[in-house]
Amino acid sequence: MNSGIASLVLLSVLGQADEPMYGYQIAKFIETHDEKIPMMKQGALYPVLRSLESSGLLESFVNPSVSGPPRRYYKITDIGQETLNHWIEIWEHTKDFVDNILKGKTDV
Amino acid sequence: MYKNVHEYLEELKKELEGCDPALIQDALSDAEGHLRTALEEEHASKPGLSETVALKPIIQKYGTPSEIASAYRAIESHITPVLAAARPKDTRSFWARFFGVLAEARAWGAFSYMLLALFTGVLFGGWALLGGLVSACSLLFIIGLPIFGLFLLSIRGIALLEGRIVEALLGIRMPRRPLFLDKNLGWTDKFKALVTDAYSWRALLYAVLLFPLGLIYYGVFGLLFVLSLIFITSPLFELVFHIPLDLFGDNVFTPVWFLPVVCIAGFFLLPLTFHFAKFVGRVHGGFAKSILVRK
Repeated sequence: MNSGIASLVLLSVLGQADEPMYGYQIAKFIETHDEKIPMMKQGALYPVLRSLESSGLLESFVNPSVSGPPRRYYKITDIGQETLNHWIEIWEHTKDFVDNILKGKTDV
Repeated sequence: MYKNVHEYLEELKKELEGCDPALIQDALSDAEGHLRTALEEEHASKPGLSETVALKPIIQKYGTPSEIASAYRAIESHITPVLAAARPKDTRSFWARFFGVLAEARAWGAFSYMLLALFTGVLFGGWALLGGLVSACSLLFIIGLPIFGLFLLSIRGIALLEGRIVEALLGIRMPRRPLFLDKNLGWTDKFKALVTDAYSWRALLYAVLLFPLGLIYYGVFGLLFVLSLIFITSPLFELVFHIPLDLFGDNVFTPVWFLPVVCIAGFFLLPLTFHFAKFVGRVHGGFAKSILVRK
């Protein structure tokens, strides 16, 4: 999975979440949808989260944890939600286009 | 195969050699947070499992140090602090560059930092001095040890916050994640680790130095900015509203023939103030980075 798709996945996970989520929680959530062949190493999600945060699409805060080190929670921003909607449109369009090509529906 | 989290982090640090120290600190902090949380969960479901055995599948999912280092390098190569984005070579004329500083986000960022320094300097420096004194005195009693530990922790928190301000306003890459203390350590060892970690003392030194620096920055840049505005608006106030220049308590009307000179001087002083703010911001950013980023 390249960082572009990872960004879409992460924004989408956080866009659907009712509450802010921390990195490990996000990685576990993705793992439950990606059991057979992991598409991406969990550790590679963190720099993408950082990238989305520095672009203003996510915001984060640190909360202490009872059992381990303090956790950084992420939540989607309003701009992030708008961007996600736009990216989903592009994704749908790209998916249809690639599907059509793969199924030979497009005239060559 | 890694025996423990510490060994993994050491390897990750080696793989990230040559990267920005602030990025290394963030990557280590992300990895440590993830691995320790995963270990905690593993130990809860399989008590008695050794750290080495429990770590193996966790690292398989998380990624090897070399894979993770590549991911950070790849992403970091196209993320720079907002105000530090690379700009094409400036081909503007001298005067365009001189006055153009007033339209530069980086100059306004540096100028804002200088004004904000009064608040951060008094708050952070005041806490470092007052809190340090109180907690040092409390060391005379047994209850003083945890108080002093909490004080050092608060100073590390302040260092992280100041780093975020420096990065946002001065465009210098600073750590974005806090430093963790190994949660497996007992309270005494945690206290020892806090006290013996040079970073705690460097952060304390920075907070103390920010006190006088904040006052100086605010005083100098506040004065230069206000002077520029007074000079620029002096013809308007003196000739139209008949309000004299208040110079150290003495009300003085500038000779009419001299007013254009004062006004023009104001127009030069304003961009000069911003150039100076940019320069001081760069120096201060380097100073903050040298002290607040773990080597």
